[in-house]
Amino acid sequence: MNLIQNTKFDTFKMIFKQIGGLLIILGYTMVVPLLVSLLYSEFYSALGFLISGLISYLIGFFLNKTIQIAKVPLNRHALIIAAMGWLSIAIMGALPFFIIAYITPVEIAQQFVPSLADYQSSIFYFKNPLHALFESMSGFTTTGLTMAVHEPSIGKGLIFYRCFSQWIGGAGFIVLALAVLNQSSGKIAFLLYGAESSGERLRPTIIETARSIWKIYLVLTLFSFVYLVIGTYFILPEYNLLDNIFDSINHAMTGQSTGGFSTLDDSIAGYNSKAMDMLYLLPMVLGALSLPFYFKVFYEKQIKQFYKNLQTRSIIITCIFGGIILSFLLLKSGVISEPFRVGIFQFISALTTTGWQTSDVHIWDAASVTFIVMGAMIVGGAAGATVGGIKIIRILLIFKGLFWHINNYFSSENSIKVVKFNEKRLLPDEMNRELAVAATFSFIYLVFVLTSTFITYYFMGTEYSITDALFESASAQGTVGLSCGITNPEMSPVLEITYIIQMWAGRLEIIPILILFRTVFLGTNPKVV
Amino acid sequence: MKIIIAGDGEVGFYLAELLEKEFQDITLIDKQRDKLAIVENKLGIATVLGDSTSYRVLNQAGVQNADLLIAVTSVESTNITTCLIGKKLGAKSTIARINNMEYLVDKDKLDLRDLGIDELVSPESLAAREVKYLLKSPVLTEVFNLYKKDLYMMGVRVEDDATIINKSIAESAHLLTNSSFMIVAILRNEKTLIPTGDLHILMGDLLYFIATDQGKDKVLEYTGKKPILIKNVLVIGGSKTGKYIALRLGEYYNIKLVEKNLEKCNHLARHIPNVHFVCGDGADVGLLEEEKISDYDAVISVTGSAETNIFSCLLAKDHGVKKTIAMVENTGLFNYSQKMGVDTLINKKMAAANFVFRHILKGRVLAQLYGIESEIQEFIVKEDSKITNQSIKELNFPANAIISGVVREGRGYITLGNFKLKANDTVFVFSLPESMKEVVAFFK
Repeated sequence: MNLIQNTKFDTFKMIFKQIGGLLIILGYTMVVPLLVSLLYSEFYSALGFLISGLISYLIGFFLNKTIQIAKVPLNRHALIIAAMGWLSIAIMGALPFFIIAYITPVEIAQQFVPSLADYQSSIFYFKNPLHALFESMSGFTTTGLTMAVHEPSIGKGLIFYRCFSQWIGGAGFIVLALAVLNQSSGKIAFLLYGAESSGERLRPTIIETARSIWKIYLVLTLFSFVYLVIGTYFILPEYNLLDNIFDSINHAMTGQSTGGFSTLDDSIAGYNSKAMDMLYLLPMVLGALSLPFYFKVFYEKQIKQFYKNLQTRSIIITCIFGGIILSFLLLKSGVISEPFRVGIFQFISALTTTGWQTSDVHIWDAASVTFIVMGAMIVGGAAGATVGGIKIIRILLIFKGLFWHINNYFSSENSIKVVKFNEKRLLPDEMNRELAVAATFSFIYLVFVLTSTFITYYFMGTEYSITDALFESASAQGTVGLSCGITNPEMSPVLEITYIIQMWAGRLEIIPILILFRTVFLGTNPKVV
Repeated sequence: MKIIIAGDGEVGFYLAELLEKEFQDITLIDKQRDKLAIVENKLGIATVLGDSTSYRVLNQAGVQNADLLIAVTSVESTNITTCLIGKKLGAKSTIARINNMEYLVDKDKLDLRDLGIDELVSPESLAAREVKYLLKSPVLTEVFNLYKKDLYMMGVRVEDDATIINKSIAESAHLLTNSSFMIVAILRNEKTLIPTGDLHILMGDLLYFIATDQGKDKVLEYTGKKPILIKNVLVIGGSKTGKYIALRLGEYYNIKLVEKNLEKCNHLARHIPNVHFVCGDGADVGLLEEEKISDYDAVISVTGSAETNIFSCLLAKDHGVKKTIAMVENTGLFNYSQKMGVDTLINKKMAAANFVFRHILKGRVLAQLYGIESEIQEFIVKEDSKITNQSIKELNFPANAIISGVVREGRGYITLGNFKLKANDTVFVFSLPESMKEVVAFFK
């Protein structure tokens, strides 16, 4: 018994040491919004970031440096670290919202509110720690659901912080820690890397892989930024250039990370321009493509990957056809004035799990809502990208498996039923294994969405329907961030916590969360039957 | 000419046996003591016991004076190492047997010659190439490419619907009005005949032709064969040969490959596209019937066992398969299997040996043919030779030999009676063993 106690204790020591490393990084990242706050002379926000950054850094430092443990983590530990780590980051990342909400005087906060608007600053919603945690979790998991009802009224510093947290969370906190800290040994690094992202090794070492990923990610974001600045300048020449640059930086970050936070009150709809809607399609699609795919295109100069890569091809095709189908559904329902503009933008926003919104989903008909949930939000983008959802590759695999299964009835008993998927030839055993993993994940994913739909149904406002509940639940689970209005500061805390858990599970693909629960409730001993 | 052969199996022994007939000084290196003893007794050649990658063993074999080092063990890396070391120690020329197709595909890019390997040979891949030719013209029992895409050797069996039966060659000569093909040998009742004008063609004869590219169709017309279109191919045996056949032909035919070993079958299935794989015994009648053997146009049996291959082919014939090809490594079985009704035989050892002969030992024996005693030899006509500028019928050429084709300035010609030889022509001569010496003297 004593022995078991010790191992359990060791496990937690090991996990906390790794989490400490993540919190140190989080502390450092707070410097960026701090500088932005100073740039806009928002001294209370700057102070808030300074305090939060210090707290995060000191806790991280305490955990990482004082815990002495020689044991090397195993695979399950890596998964627990990923789950616990992301939760800790969301909690510590909520500090700036909470602290700034408390220290900013009312009259200062009121200065953030645009001059013509008649509402109060939304910053004070974050006095409720649950709201702060929700916002932080929605940020780091790149979801985009928000408690800041009127975004511009929380100050440039916090607006930037929200977008920045999505950007950091997009490529992955653990990947960032691996790239920056350079202290983990190869094995730990590999396990941690696999626990957070697709696990595809691009370079001989994981550290180099992590750096490559961040480099690609940075370059893509810079590209989106330049693209958006120039695009906005030509489409809306009247628009203030400084605002344009601020918007473009933030939107480039939230587009590339498929997060979907916006600097505007009404998301992209705030520009009131068809051309701007069009302009914003590209950053979303870029964000939904797999980072390893970009690596192959740019580093290894495999341009043919553009049409050969199964995921990339299917995402582009799905975007086109899905957008058109949704447009026709909306056209048929007649509730939307510009069905094609809305249909295409919203479908792509949902499929890429970005969550920029140009339409009030609450007024959509049930068919359109169901279609966007089933055809886009649950599917999601490419594995290895910053998206949520089941991921398009798993959906394709399951369909392939179905056809394979049917075709097998037509071949002779002794023949080897090989199946070709994604440029790989799989033997029956391998295919069955892949199918089992994909199907199990898809199943648990749907269970999460449905369970949450029922919870939503019982805790949401009376003006919403069951399709709205399904929509909001799928949006949180897929880290999409489109909202039909159920998510607001007045929502039930039960529902808010449900969505927090969903976003958390959605970002890490559920399994690490289940492993964490297993460890907490049943310990780390193998189950004997 | 001093030749060292490093081998550990049939290819090595076979090469030694063939080369021994032709050359003075053969040394065989092998790791198996008892097998070496047999070879030494049978062939009377020098042998060295040991690993051919060993510096000491190679020196002992006399590599520093060797004109040619042939490494044909079953292990590719051993062959490559042997050649590299051998070249370093003074061998003038080297040939390595390889299994990996990559080396052949990127031959020019890799440039192994630079390292010390002059030629690569892959018996399995050669056998697969032969199968490819045979499936293209399935009525032929044998195809052999003599010169680029210009001259071919081909064998055709005379069956009951041919108009030339019971006619003499002279009588049927009116059918031979063009100069695109000629008969060079006839195999009848296990005996090889060199054609003369009054020889009658009988049913069941196996006729050997030499033909230009255009002549290939004319040969079929002459022997009254209708072209068969092959679409579905059943390959029995996932040996290396089977693998290369599947790899090379998968995109042209519907191929199903039967292999007994599940692991091997899985491995092949994972790597070879466009081919169906079935795990099962190729000699199992039930299985072959279940796989609907009668639906196939061709059955190619290339398992490690010649008996299985022959059996599967006979079974296929019985089920109405038009073309059967069996891999038979045991040369003693050639005549019987042909007599029993297997259309075509392939043999890796012979394919490899022919390759070595053609590419390295120019001007000597070119090729061995299945079940036939005669050999094709290649000669170059010299400037001062007495035979230049004479038409062939005036040459008084040895009776059991026939001049069958000429390559002049990069083009192939069929040499009928009025053809005149010129200096620097490459001449292909078909001869029975007893006339070999006369022929050689003729060109001296």
